[in-house]
Amino acid sequence: MKFKVFLVLVAALFLSPVLASAKLQVVTTTEDLASIAREIGKDNIDVTAIAKGYQDPHFVDPKPSYLLKLGRADVLMIVGLELEVGWLPPLLQNARNSKIIPGNPGYFDASEGCHILQKPTGVVDRSMGDVHPYGNPHYWTEPENGRAIARHMAEKLSELDQSHAAEYTANLKQFEDRLTAKEKEWNTLAATFKGVKVITYHNSWPNFAEAFSLNIVNHIEPKPGIPPSPAHVQDLINQIKRDKIPLLLIEPYFDDKLPAKIAADTGAKMLIFPPSVGGIKDIKTYFDLFDHNLKLIADAVGGKL
Amino acid sequence: MHRKISYKAFLHLNVFLMGLPFVARAADSPIPASPGTGGGASALQASNLLNPNISVVGWFQGMTGHPHDPGHDSEPVMQLKETELGLQSIVDPWARGDFFVSFDQDGNANLEEGYITWFHLPGGLGFRTGKFRSYFGPFNRTHPHDTPFATRPLAEKNFLGEDGLAGTGGGLSWQIPNPWIFLNTDLEALRPPAVTDTPSFDRAERKDLLYVGRINGYLDVTDSQNLSFGGSYANGPSGQELTSLGTSSDTLHTQLYALDLTYRWKNPARAIYRSLIWQNEILWSKHEVTSIDTVQSWGLMSWLQYQFMERWATGGRYDFSQFATDNGTHEYGGLVFITYSPSEFSHISLQASHVKRSDGLDENLGFLRVLFNIGPHGAHAF
Repeated sequence: MKFKVFLVLVAALFLSPVLASAKLQVVTTTEDLASIAREIGKDNIDVTAIAKGYQDPHFVDPKPSYLLKLGRADVLMIVGLELEVGWLPPLLQNARNSKIIPGNPGYFDASEGCHILQKPTGVVDRSMGDVHPYGNPHYWTEPENGRAIARHMAEKLSELDQSHAAEYTANLKQFEDRLTAKEKEWNTLAATFKGVKVITYHNSWPNFAEAFSLNIVNHIEPKPGIPPSPAHVQDLINQIKRDKIPLLLIEPYFDDKLPAKIAADTGAKMLIFPPSVGGIKDIKTYFDLFDHNLKLIADAVGGKL
Repeated sequence: MHRKISYKAFLHLNVFLMGLPFVARAADSPIPASPGTGGGASALQASNLLNPNISVVGWFQGMTGHPHDPGHDSEPVMQLKETELGLQSIVDPWARGDFFVSFDQDGNANLEEGYITWFHLPGGLGFRTGKFRSYFGPFNRTHPHDTPFATRPLAEKNFLGEDGLAGTGGGLSWQIPNPWIFLNTDLEALRPPAVTDTPSFDRAERKDLLYVGRINGYLDVTDSQNLSFGGSYANGPSGQELTSLGTSSDTLHTQLYALDLTYRWKNPARAIYRSLIWQNEILWSKHEVTSIDTVQSWGLMSWLQYQFMERWATGGRYDFSQFATDNGTHEYGGLVFITYSPSEFSHISLQASHVKRSDGLDENLGFLRVLFNIGPHGAHAF
């Protein structure tokens, strides 16, 4: 009898992941998608992000522990445009969860319907550095793309969980209303530094720049994914001095020693500029991301334009 | 270990346990639009959409010193040691296919692997069949050019062969559901390799198969540190012995056991700059030489790689090994290396090795190893 009880307990423990929750299990590749999903799904979904906001989303180790999360997922939400190409495929192929493979209802590519920039139309090869053949994948840094993602998510969640479809629709409206109000605030703030010239470390910001009228004139990486050479650094220093470029925007996962030296040599200001929710502790939601970054630039420029 | 895959890359069943510290990166490029060529490029691309992804890895190696290892003592000073052609694609909604053909410096072709994998079977199962590298420990699953080394570890070579343990057959993989850690088990049945390829085994009777079992786990210690561990077992024919009457023969067997432990460190907030991997593997062998004589021998390796800058890594390896059929002698040695990687697709490495051979000879070798990879390059296994 005791042995039977023991067997039942062991079976219950091993089955517990399967039986864990009745909520829709959502796994996202980034914190940004997780934040928007939480706004739309609220209490009806459990959301887990794989890449943390302080990680370079191109460089994530496909740890087997992620397989446990993916194996239980009802839906996987990805940024797409090959942002995750370096690490997601082996996870998908080994998650043993057919619901979330491409083509099935549990696979959600957030880039669909978004405003994508820098889509190459010519020949692509690696002499250009590490290229994304389908366009720049950092599109979530444009608020209107956040809106497109949210709408798309609400449709997907409603499709997978029809019993809560009305709530997802209501949550979407709430999100959009807040986004519209916030956009007015952000645009007002951005008007104070319209056209400001900036240099970014990586080519992460074309959508943000277009949305808020930043003028990105160069990158610390000479080509995407290629570390800067001394000659390129000297060119940057000359360009900053010549064109009086006031700001260097550095994603938090890059070493800031070199940008700090460039800033010290030229008088430009270096800002640690998170591209994702969770990039620093204070950025907990998609709205915080824009609140923080726009204020950072406004404070740094200080009306000196 | 990295794979040059495309649809987006393929990880064999459960090859989570190895990996160069380089992870593929696809960043963003402001590529100028080129209307004049865009249409043509798109048309070409469309015509190739359903073709398998093709990648080629070249391995050039220069060597100084005189090898005292049988089979390597006439190795040239400079050689294109290996050229590996990879063809990989989705087969249908349920499976994918992978082929790896290697060519040696003389142009001799060898089908290293060719298999189909169904990776979304019910019950957390995956299955593959064809010819493949056995999952007998994490190192054996790694193609030689995907390891950091110019030479094969002594224990791997002496028990599993210069190219590792591989065979034609089938393998079932099952992720053991539990709420705590990742656990996986693998069972394989293979046609045994010839003794010329793998010293521990040989083809005896046609019906004899090699069976391999493995259980492995993974544990996140912290956000930056993790452990992988596993145990492997293989049982297969090692030869034949005539019965006392001389009219029939009995199959002799080898049993191989292995334990492995891998520690990894990488600060996720600085993933491209620093990382460390330390892998250890120990093997035991019970090899029937005759029906009344069994040789018990063992070997081990321990290697460490530290990436100290964005494009630079260094490390070393310690080896000790007896032989599958001889536990009266052994050899031991080490190897150190420093590697510069201009990108994820090329690596230039200087290496030095010392081995005390079983006959007492000291072997000192130096290597220049250049790896380069063209074609779609997908994700790296962990």
